[in-house]
Amino acid sequence: MSYRIAQAYRQAPWRIQVQWIGLFALGLLLVALVAGFYLNITTRAAIAGHDLQNMLYQVQNEESDIAGLNTQLASITSASTMEKRAHDLGFIPIEAGQPKYLEVPGYVPLGMPNLAPPPDNGVVEAPLILPDYTQSLWDWLFRSFLPTQVKPGTMQP
Amino acid sequence: MNLTHVYRYYVLGALLGLASIAIIFKMVNIQNSPYAQQLLTKSHQYDASIEMVYPERGNIYDRRGNLLAGNTQVYEVGIEVGDANTPEPDIGPIAAQLSAITGTDSGKMITNYLESKNHKLQYAVLVDFITGDQIKALQTAIDAEAKKPATKSHGAATVGIEALHWQSHLIRTYPESDVGFNYIGYYPFLSNNQLVKIDGQDVEVPAVGTYGIEEKYNDLLAGTPKLEAIPNNPLLVNDVPEVPPGASLILTVDIRLQSAMEKILDKALKDSGAISGSIVVEDPKTGEILAMANTPRLNLNQYWDIGNKFPNPIYFNRSVSVTYEPGSVFKVFTMAAALDAGAVKPGTIFNDTGIFEWGGGFIHNWDGGAWGKQTMTGCLEHSLNVCLAWVATQLGATRFYNYIQAFGIGHPTGIDLGSEANYPLRLPGEDLSDRVQNFVKWSDIDLATNAFGQGLAVTPIQMVMGVSAVANDGKMMAPHILKAMVNNGRQYPTVPQVVGMPISAETAHTETEMLAISLEKESSIAEVEGYRVAGKTGTAEIATPYGGYSDSLTNASFVGWGPVDDPQFLVYVWLEKPTASKWGSVVAAPVFAEAVKSIVVLMDIPPDSVRLQLKAKP
Repeated sequence: MSYRIAQAYRQAPWRIQVQWIGLFALGLLLVALVAGFYLNITTRAAIAGHDLQNMLYQVQNEESDIAGLNTQLASITSASTMEKRAHDLGFIPIEAGQPKYLEVPGYVPLGMPNLAPPPDNGVVEAPLILPDYTQSLWDWLFRSFLPTQVKPGTMQP
Repeated sequence: MNLTHVYRYYVLGALLGLASIAIIFKMVNIQNSPYAQQLLTKSHQYDASIEMVYPERGNIYDRRGNLLAGNTQVYEVGIEVGDANTPEPDIGPIAAQLSAITGTDSGKMITNYLESKNHKLQYAVLVDFITGDQIKALQTAIDAEAKKPATKSHGAATVGIEALHWQSHLIRTYPESDVGFNYIGYYPFLSNNQLVKIDGQDVEVPAVGTYGIEEKYNDLLAGTPKLEAIPNNPLLVNDVPEVPPGASLILTVDIRLQSAMEKILDKALKDSGAISGSIVVEDPKTGEILAMANTPRLNLNQYWDIGNKFPNPIYFNRSVSVTYEPGSVFKVFTMAAALDAGAVKPGTIFNDTGIFEWGGGFIHNWDGGAWGKQTMTGCLEHSLNVCLAWVATQLGATRFYNYIQAFGIGHPTGIDLGSEANYPLRLPGEDLSDRVQNFVKWSDIDLATNAFGQGLAVTPIQMVMGVSAVANDGKMMAPHILKAMVNNGRQYPTVPQVVGMPISAETAHTETEMLAISLEKESSIAEVEGYRVAGKTGTAEIATPYGGYSDSLTNASFVGWGPVDDPQFLVYVWLEKPTASKWGSVVAAPVFAEAVKSIVVLMDIPPDSVRLQLKAKP
């Protein structure tokens, strides 16, 4: 059998060239596939990035709007405005000696407003965007397939 | 294939190979040339646009979370200036239409346009600080214009209002307008990012907060501006600038209490004919300022009126920036010092003959009369200058001034508000003429006059801090207005600080009791039904610029606190030059009573009978 193959190649040496061309074409195809894949991902990432950028600007605008609306709300509910509204509705200011005080077990008087958590509550904030969405292809390959890579939080003392 | 010609292919291959090597060599050479490096560096400027990003200024809240200072979105409207490549805007009709919507003078807009054109700018800002509603109206007008059939203009091509652009930005807004103006201060947004020449270059300079909290905590409120490279490559989305806003501040004040105090002060000025006034309310246990009312007031949303309202800016917050001779309210310190040092006791008898000679001068009582034998409580009750001058001499100058300094007199309190004033205390043997204009050295008579609050100057906030020691078991608390700060998503509360203990707790209780009894015996108009309070009136003569004191002009004051067994508020009242009556007991004492009536309601403080009943329950 091997003799026949050797003889066939001796009679028609162009078969070797075809083999080389085939191998080259296969390599080219693989490269084209990877390039296409990379181009596709890159394009999608660019579009997503652009959308994200727009959304971030939108968030900034919305935050400005919210700040403006909060200020507007504060103006509408300012001490002088509320007093005028109460007066227009027929309310009169309460005088010292008029309130009736009741003991309400468990009542906690209004404290300081909590606009944010205290500094030492021990909560560690998780990142908003997972690393899977921000790391490069190489980072992902190294992190996923290289066993020597030490994952965060797995290091032993 | 003719083998004799094969060498030609080898030659051709060698030539092509050499050419390839030459090309690669040149490529490497170009890549590594200094010019390539320069070009690469230069190319980076097109990667991103460099911008200074200013954080949103932090908000200011009262102790209940009511917004005192925030930001509102407004718009700047402009248009591209016409040139050889850009059609000329029909600026006259555009300005007229814009004027109808915004109310801005159209002539001013045309001037803005022409100035920009003269300076060869590509873009002209026509009008700024336009509200969101006005922008909506403008958009409607543009939409209506677009629906109209196109008309051919004769001559050069022109554009109409559809060519207008607008961009939003934030301005500082004060929802409470003039309530609490004096401690809030203001942020002059009209001066923001003005171009200033520094080393021959135009540099944008941000505005800074002026007066009050806006000035004191400007750096925190403003945050940290960042010079950001905004990438043109959307793949670099992670680099979109995220500049954290400035810190928000929560104040110790209660805006409802503040509003009530301002109304009481306005009425007091009307009733007494005083030219100005001040009411400070503090929690003596913590030093938190609960309200600080002053006159005149400024609408912070129109801060540019400040020049008209305050020709002399030190009067912006007279509670901390203006010193005055306090008069008899100062007797609280004199008596506290004497009691604490053991120089006198509440029952010590003093025979008031109506005159006291000391240091070459004569001290008289407020009414010029002689009140006979009086206990120390009686001396406070009738506010006898002669008696208190004698008390000070019993204590001696050294001990007296040591105590007075321990109460914080002669030193700034360090309150976290801008422009705090302090007049140095004149002490025996000290000469401050190099630091203080028209300084008069201390003499023996000063011991006697200082004992009843003449011959020295204090700010209301200094008095409040000193008296807080008497109201708070001898512990003097640092007055402050910042309750908490919110920065980087975390809330940091401030911790009340004891700045000294000038007297013992026992002395503090004794004097509080003496002052409560003196108000009760006197049937003072400072008393409030259902609540036992301690307090002291003050009437101070005003020094004239020519030496000596005015006969008719006084500063009327009152300091009081309560409830006596568990003080939760301390109120200081100062009325300047009242005309209805010159006496603090007549014009300032009722203001204190009115203030307390409001405080107990707004702070939910039950009458003593109810409170003590609840306290007694197991």
